[in-house]
Amino acid sequence: MTGTSLRTYLITRIALVLPMVFILLTLVFLLMRVAPGNPIQASLGGHVPAPVIKQIEHRLGFDKPLLTQYGNYIWDIARGNFGTTITDNRPLSQIIKQNGAATLELTFFAMLIAIAVGVVIGLLAGRFRDTSVDVFGRLFGIVTYATPVFFLGLLAQLVFGVWLGWLPISDQASPLTQALLKPHTNILFVDAIIDGNGSALWDVTKHLILPATTLGLATAGIFIRLIRINVIRTLRDDYIEAARARGIVERRVVFSHAFKNALVPVITVIGLNLALLLGGAVLTETTFNWPGIGHELVLYLENRDYAAVQGIIVVFALVVVAISVLVDFVNAYVDPRIRY
Amino acid sequence: MAKRRLRWLLAGSAVAVMALAAALAATAYGSGKANSKIVIDGTTGTVVNIDPANEYDYDSFTVDLPIYQGLYGFPSGAKLKPVLATGCKHSKNLKTWTCQLRHGVKFSNGDPMTAADVKYSFDRVQKIKGDQGIWTLLTYLKSTTTSGNYTVVFHLTHPDSIWPYILSTNAGYVVDHKTYPADKILANTDTANLVGTGPYKLTKFTPGQQAVFTPNTHYWGAKPKNGGIIIDYYSKSSTMKLDLQKGAIDMAFQTFTPTEIASLKKTKGVKVHSAPGVNIRYLVFNVKRAPFNNIHVRRAIAYLMPRQQIAGRVWHNTVKPLYSMVPQGLPGATPSYKKMYGAKPNLAKAKAEMKAAKVKKPLPITLWYTPTHYGDASADEYVEMQRALNASKLFKVTLKSAEWAQYSGILGKGYGAFQLGWFPDYPDADDYTVSFYQPKSFYNNGYANKKMNKLIAKERAAPTTKKRLAYLKGMQNLAAKTLPTIPYWQGDMIAVGRSNVQGIPSTLDATYYMRFWLISKS
Amino acid sequence: MSVAAPSARTPHGRARLIALGHATKPIREATGIARGMLWAGAAITLFFVVLAVFAPLISPYGFNQYKSGGVRFPQLGHPSAAHWMGTTVQSSDVMARVIYGAQTELKVVAIALVMALTIGVPLGLISGYFGGILDRALVLIMDALFAFPYLLIAIVIAFLLSSSSIGQGVLTAAIAITVAYVPLYFRVVRNHVISVREEPYVDAARALGARPRTVIRKYVFFNVVQNVPPIATLNAADAILLLAALGFLGYGIQPSQGAEWGYDINRAVSDAASGIWWTGLFPGFAIVLLVTGLTLLGEGLNETLNPVLRRRRFGRIEFEPLDPFEPEQSE
Repeated sequence: MTGTSLRTYLITRIALVLPMVFILLTLVFLLMRVAPGNPIQASLGGHVPAPVIKQIEHRLGFDKPLLTQYGNYIWDIARGNFGTTITDNRPLSQIIKQNGAATLELTFFAMLIAIAVGVVIGLLAGRFRDTSVDVFGRLFGIVTYATPVFFLGLLAQLVFGVWLGWLPISDQASPLTQALLKPHTNILFVDAIIDGNGSALWDVTKHLILPATTLGLATAGIFIRLIRINVIRTLRDDYIEAARARGIVERRVVFSHAFKNALVPVITVIGLNLALLLGGAVLTETTFNWPGIGHELVLYLENRDYAAVQGIIVVFALVVVAISVLVDFVNAYVDPRIRY
Repeated sequence: MAKRRLRWLLAGSAVAVMALAAALAATAYGSGKANSKIVIDGTTGTVVNIDPANEYDYDSFTVDLPIYQGLYGFPSGAKLKPVLATGCKHSKNLKTWTCQLRHGVKFSNGDPMTAADVKYSFDRVQKIKGDQGIWTLLTYLKSTTTSGNYTVVFHLTHPDSIWPYILSTNAGYVVDHKTYPADKILANTDTANLVGTGPYKLTKFTPGQQAVFTPNTHYWGAKPKNGGIIIDYYSKSSTMKLDLQKGAIDMAFQTFTPTEIASLKKTKGVKVHSAPGVNIRYLVFNVKRAPFNNIHVRRAIAYLMPRQQIAGRVWHNTVKPLYSMVPQGLPGATPSYKKMYGAKPNLAKAKAEMKAAKVKKPLPITLWYTPTHYGDASADEYVEMQRALNASKLFKVTLKSAEWAQYSGILGKGYGAFQLGWFPDYPDADDYTVSFYQPKSFYNNGYANKKMNKLIAKERAAPTTKKRLAYLKGMQNLAAKTLPTIPYWQGDMIAVGRSNVQGIPSTLDATYYMRFWLISKS
Repeated sequence: MSVAAPSARTPHGRARLIALGHATKPIREATGIARGMLWAGAAITLFFVVLAVFAPLISPYGFNQYKSGGVRFPQLGHPSAAHWMGTTVQSSDVMARVIYGAQTELKVVAIALVMALTIGVPLGLISGYFGGILDRALVLIMDALFAFPYLLIAIVIAFLLSSSSIGQGVLTAAIAITVAYVPLYFRVVRNHVISVREEPYVDAARALGARPRTVIRKYVFFNVVQNVPPIATLNAADAILLLAALGFLGYGIQPSQGAEWGYDINRAVSDAASGIWWTGLFPGFAIVLLVTGLTLLGEGLNETLNPVLRRRRFGRIEFEPLDPFEPEQSE
């Protein structure tokens, strides 16, 4: 586990990422351009005369040959320029900064909840395999998976927001809090801490609970299943048998050997899940009026803003790739056996 | 080794989480006394452009209204009054309008407002010719000239009796020539430069989330009755309703579903305010496209239009049946469709029309609507229409829908019969007739009628209001006969406030303006 | 679980029969929790299939029906004797919409899965068997797609198709779901083919001069295809969630074309805030129940057919046939 081999691995891994990014970008481009209809016209509608459409097409470069457009598109992204929306002239970079921060906040806390729930139930179900604990744990995993996020969100809103009246059911913060907080990072939770504003932090936390729990529960199922299977596997592994044979107390065997090993692959799944959380975030954000990037995507889809949709999809693609690389790095760091 | 690294990683994350929790606990009891005079409004709308030079939709207009002013306006009630002007005089042929400006008006950044700014603003709208199309309101404007610091002269290409109304629209909002570029619009987030002469200045704008307004300290008129406004943007009216009930917002304007309004009327702590409004819905025909090019088919639909069912069942009577494109409450409105087709559906007459139409029965037709732009109830509205037409056994209706951005780009170019709604650019019958009946109307329905064109020209050149209203009546009657559209309801202007919010009723009138400065909170 | 096909001379009819016997044997012999899951899942799934097939017989009313015997149904009526699950804002019967919804969901998902299988499986077979540049290119593309949140893929596809001549509807929804799942089948099949390719009996067939087509068709296909039922079942569960999500976002089935649970929940959101719970609750429970049923069935099948849990070797989690359905979890 010398530094050089790790570094070589990292370099290879990054080199492998480039074709993937390239393919994703090309797929997005093809999808958006092969699409029928005139994107400009579809995006604007209304009272727009033909010369104005021509003018916008020219501004966005839609009147150039397809290959040139493709070249410009790749070049722009390489320079970190994701374009500007057609309908409200917003640079994508601003959407990433503002709405991306909201999505980050939501997915981070959702992930914490998913891991906490998943690890506890998964470990228990695996340890007590084929008992009622196992059946309950697995059923819990299946039902949370089977419940659409938007339905779970609706139920949570009804119970905790309307019926009990404990928690706010929409937005990232109360309007007043949001208006008064200074946007340091755009992650309101962090902004409130930086400002040292206690009541704002409390307000932001209250707003986080329902959306983060909803999204977290919906993703907990995968952790439950994975950790359970891993516990079952490791409990049967040779060294566990050896430990048992050596007369080590079963509880110790379970805790210090089986559980720990069962948790190693969780990191991989966290990464995998983050990408999927982003998909779920689209629905959660819509349900809870959470101003994240998925929420924006849905709005721009409704407005048929091709430039915005393309930009947001590209951002999603890059994030997904970045996460997969990051996960591999962490894995390589944690588990030195892993080498390609 | 692997385990140790994992242990460090886990321990690290645990410490981080605990630190966060500690920070949370430590600061949870801080104080944050906020200004209790700020009124927080909720809406389901979306803002396109704040810069008035390219703003032509109702939700963006609601943001512009507290910031900007024109030479004329509707400061209270539906009566046109001079605002930034003290008055305008027109030449005999109605083609030259000379306006005197109010003295001592300043923009919210402190810059004085002069004739140069007015000219700059009009030139700017015409130069930018934004994609939203607000510049089309200035089609008659040939040029703008100034004379001294306080006199502006508008030179028109055609006589235009309603020019002061045009001056009240946001095509005529006056902006600071020092902060607005001459040939392009400002970004919505550029709040430092988005200044106007209105009672508020925009201090923060987060797209899709919030617009924050604070009182304009340089304002020339009466101070607003509140300490500022926050408009909060919702994607679903249901969450807005719950927030209103919980008190997270003080009021909500635009747009609850009829079911939610019915529920809110019974809710304690909130009050539903409504006043007769001029928001209308209508069905447009492309009069060149089969089978709607057959006047008898259109007449049969006019005879069957289930206005009472739609108003009652879908809207719980928060809207009223409408029998002219010009809603009741505006001078010159006349219920032409009632006179011609009766107040209620008439099956016998519809059958006779279909006989005269010589088409097969039931006739398959497609009706188009847009599912969210005019609220979720649009689907229910068109299902109601479909049921009524199908029940007559004269038609076999297929419903189709498309989201607004796509829908608004197609309209008459692709659809034979489609839903539309209308908020006024200015509260006058002219805006509810000329916009629809001129030969190249925005919805491209192929309607062109020589008699109508003559009436329009005469109306615009009419020397007195009385004569103008007479021509407008003629236009409504002719439209009922030739059926380019069938109006079916007129909506109240509805705003819901918590019980400690005052002043909402004072802004509900035929202008359909939400004048936030009249609203206060106790 | 190798198929009994010792040489190319074995009549392939018999090989299939044996394969079938092998394939169903574990189901017959399933025990314990797996057995319970299998049967509970099968029962729930069957229930919905019956609902879907016999909807016109079971449902008290049509899904768009708003009056009966000249009397209009109440608008947003409470659950009652005449309307067990109440009525919607358009005066249609919620129970009828739930029952007909089963028809829509199963129809779309079936079309989507058939399409995804007919594209994904052959691609995987060819790519895995022949390898080479084609394989690498396909793997790269499919991996790129696979890494992407599939809900987003489906939304974008539905969005793009809805503005084309196809318009919104059953086919659009099915295509959107298909595109989202092709990479999964491709992956599973390809990886399995690679391991089967080197099995002695396949080698033997090749040595005896069988053409690649014959080898793939007779030996590889049947071996590989056994992996598919559990994945397809779990996938169907996932596809229903996906369709409901599309419906919820407004990119699913048009309301006039059929009842769809996701769309109904979308419309019910505003009802719920006004204290009207029945319009959203019943379609929601229908989704939960059907997806739970399919998942139980799929996991039961998986546990009995797929000997994963008996395998000892375990290193890093890989997205291989080990737990092929794992990655497409989530919502």
